[in-house]
Amino acid sequence: MEPLNGDDRPHLPPPSLWPVGFAVGVACVLVGLIVDPLVVVPIGVAILLVFGFLWARDATKGYRAPVPDLEPETRRPGREAPPIPAHVGEAAMPEPEPGEIERFPRSKFLEFSTLGLGGVIGGIVTIPILGPMVANPFRHEKHGKLDLGPLSDFPSGQWMIATFMTDPAEGEVTRRTAYIRNNGESNGEPSFTIISNRCAHLGCPVQPNGPVFDNKKKVERTKGAGDVTLIPMLPAGGFGCPCHGGQYNPEGNRTAGPPVRALDRYDYSIVGGHLVLGKTYSVSKVDGTGAQAKIHRYGLANPGNHVDGPEAWLYPLQPPH
Amino acid sequence: MASRALDERRAQFQRYKEDVKERGKPFYPYAMFHDTVMSLVVVSVIVGLAVIWKFTVPGDHTSTKPGLLGPLYTDKADPGTTNFVPRPDWYFYFLFYLLRIFKWPESVILGTVGIPTILLMIMLALPFLDLRRERRLLRRPVAIVAAILTVLSMGVLTYKGATAKEALASEVVQAVPTWAKREGFSGNPQAVAGAKLFAQSGCTACHTYLGTGSSNLGAPDLTAIGKGNQGAQFFSSYVSNPRQFGNKVMPVFGNLGSQQNIHNIGVFLSVSKGPK
Amino acid sequence: MPRSRKSARRQRMEAAINYPIEWLEERSGLIGGVRYFLFRKVPSDTNWMQTLGSATLTAFIVQAVTGAILAMYYKPDPNSAYQSIQHITNDVWLGWLVRGMHRWGASVFIILMFFHMARVFLFGAYKYPRELNWIVGVLLLALGMLEGFTGYLLPWDQTAYWATVVGININGTAPFLGPFLAQFLRGGAEIGPDTLARFYSIHMLLIPGALIGLIGLHLYLVVRLGVTSPPWSKEAAGAERVEKPKRGRRGLLMPGARGGIPR
Repeated sequence: MEPLNGDDRPHLPPPSLWPVGFAVGVACVLVGLIVDPLVVVPIGVAILLVFGFLWARDATKGYRAPVPDLEPETRRPGREAPPIPAHVGEAAMPEPEPGEIERFPRSKFLEFSTLGLGGVIGGIVTIPILGPMVANPFRHEKHGKLDLGPLSDFPSGQWMIATFMTDPAEGEVTRRTAYIRNNGESNGEPSFTIISNRCAHLGCPVQPNGPVFDNKKKVERTKGAGDVTLIPMLPAGGFGCPCHGGQYNPEGNRTAGPPVRALDRYDYSIVGGHLVLGKTYSVSKVDGTGAQAKIHRYGLANPGNHVDGPEAWLYPLQPPH
Repeated sequence: MASRALDERRAQFQRYKEDVKERGKPFYPYAMFHDTVMSLVVVSVIVGLAVIWKFTVPGDHTSTKPGLLGPLYTDKADPGTTNFVPRPDWYFYFLFYLLRIFKWPESVILGTVGIPTILLMIMLALPFLDLRRERRLLRRPVAIVAAILTVLSMGVLTYKGATAKEALASEVVQAVPTWAKREGFSGNPQAVAGAKLFAQSGCTACHTYLGTGSSNLGAPDLTAIGKGNQGAQFFSSYVSNPRQFGNKVMPVFGNLGSQQNIHNIGVFLSVSKGPK
Repeated sequence: MPRSRKSARRQRMEAAINYPIEWLEERSGLIGGVRYFLFRKVPSDTNWMQTLGSATLTAFIVQAVTGAILAMYYKPDPNSAYQSIQHITNDVWLGWLVRGMHRWGASVFIILMFFHMARVFLFGAYKYPRELNWIVGVLLLALGMLEGFTGYLLPWDQTAYWATVVGININGTAPFLGPFLAQFLRGGAEIGPDTLARFYSIHMLLIPGALIGLIGLHLYLVVRLGVTSPPWSKEAAGAERVEKPKRGRRGLLMPGARGGIPR
């Protein structure tokens, strides 16, 4: 046996896992004292005893039996592998072509599998990112029925500014405004003109060109649309946009400025004597007025998007609303 | 040819590196001193602006009144508003005014997407459009002209965007007593009532009156419209149906509540003979 | 004798002071990098206009720091955002200053970017071999404007809300994909409860991350390619040598000027 040069193996007992189990036992007893002393404490005591015995047995091993000499982890010249013969080892490899790194089948395999695995990781991470970030905004949203109150709030021939919430649970952020006129009866059914105040140019809030009777303001609390505010007004000059100067007539047709189509409108129905708003839709233009109006109707489009004419092919698809 | 130009460029950069190595000065502390002074100026300006912003706001601290640098905040966002005039931050004024310039539906896309995209593309492609080595200003006439034009047009657009005004009914109504005094119709109740209605009805969205209102859509200034002495009846019938007079642009105001309202507007316009 | 003792003590002190630096250098090599950055040579004729780039960086750092502090008090929720801005402005001690610095620092940052760009244009500093750095700069400008746009919504006041409505709809007029882009930005068919938090995340995480990365690349390219001399300088680095005058005009390097700068 050679002397152990520089081998400073510490003369300590080898590591043992038993103390860990012993500690678990202690913890079990302590928890048991709080939780259920009759059941948990005996279990903890049992664990303590078993692991304590094993630990003690392990710790006293050195006194009970001689420790065998461990093979030190030193590298000795005699133990080295024999040199690789020149005709099989690295020396036998052909010199790599200058300017080109030699690839071995194994390194190629590693390269491809690294790239592939990287791609898999990218996919696994990317798909959940794309879900909430990109896909979620395009899911169909539920449209509640927006109850704007009894028909008696809308006198025939009178324009009203109605502000309401499309989702009262979400609060003021869903507040919207519509300009509503009761057109009177048409074929025995009440007829309404309900125009969105979202400018068809870039979505600014259009304003009525005419007196607004703030002193006749009325607030009605409804189930579907939160606080509904109704203000009578007289948009004799139609509607105007404060951003870029778009002008509309009272039917919502563009008369001047940059808007690309008429103002959007709301579907409506009469349920139990109440005016109920439905979905919003886009309008290219309106012929005629009031109950006799012929509305050129399209699916809801983003502001600034043409719905008819040659420019409409720039916007062939609208996301689901 | 192309390779000779490339060689020349490479040789020039080589010369540059040699010159800097031979005659240059270390970045620290020579150039960095200037950088530090400039950075101090920048930080001071930022803090100064913040202080001026806060301490020139009149009234108590929750007010939304503007100080020298504008209000601390405007009213809380109201998605259902019907009387707010939206404006962007100042560095988007040029784009804002560009959108007002393109006031035909067919050209909206030029202002919103077209011109900004073209500008961005030109900026990105600039090093590949200008391949000459020449850096001295006076020998780059195209670059100089382009730079001056860009700065000028951005400046003009920003200025126009900053001063573009919309006439909100509630604000215009407050100007009515001033109008009456300057035009001298304070004693005429019909004219004053007509002026109020004129202010409320969005007429100033297209017209201007004594500097109030918008001229973006090219409608005439009405400050001195009554100079021709056409009389109230003419204006009343014009307003109630501009189509009769060959005007296909102006909205029809025939449904302005009552005949009396229309008449009041006619009186107001007929007595508007310019400031006295 | 006392003198040498003193200097020995001094040496020990210096060694003690230098020890952490040497420790760091030995393990990271960072000190060498910083030293290279600081003591690299720049042309001797650099100009005050060439401080605009570092001034822009300073403004960006001010934005990053004040933004991080504002984020401690700001609530990105449509029902409480406005109140939290009022709280920052009126109740938090010096909150108005931090908010004011962030609000006006944004304007200063954008102005400085434009000035810096104008300087680069006037100096012709976008030419070979610095084309890539110009492109990175244009991207930084675009991202900076995007920061301005997304940050403008956060106070949730009337100007903020409606400027954002218009901004989103401007994107919505892009052909073909525009309406989808607008809906992506809004996080839904309408500006709703999700939009504000979305803008907040974009404003304070996504774009700043991209900005920091691009600023690093921008600076790396500046250090690698060097700073240009003003084009009108008589001793501009890289100007044609007078020995072989090509167009033989004034403004070129004079023989007497060589080596005239003390090093």
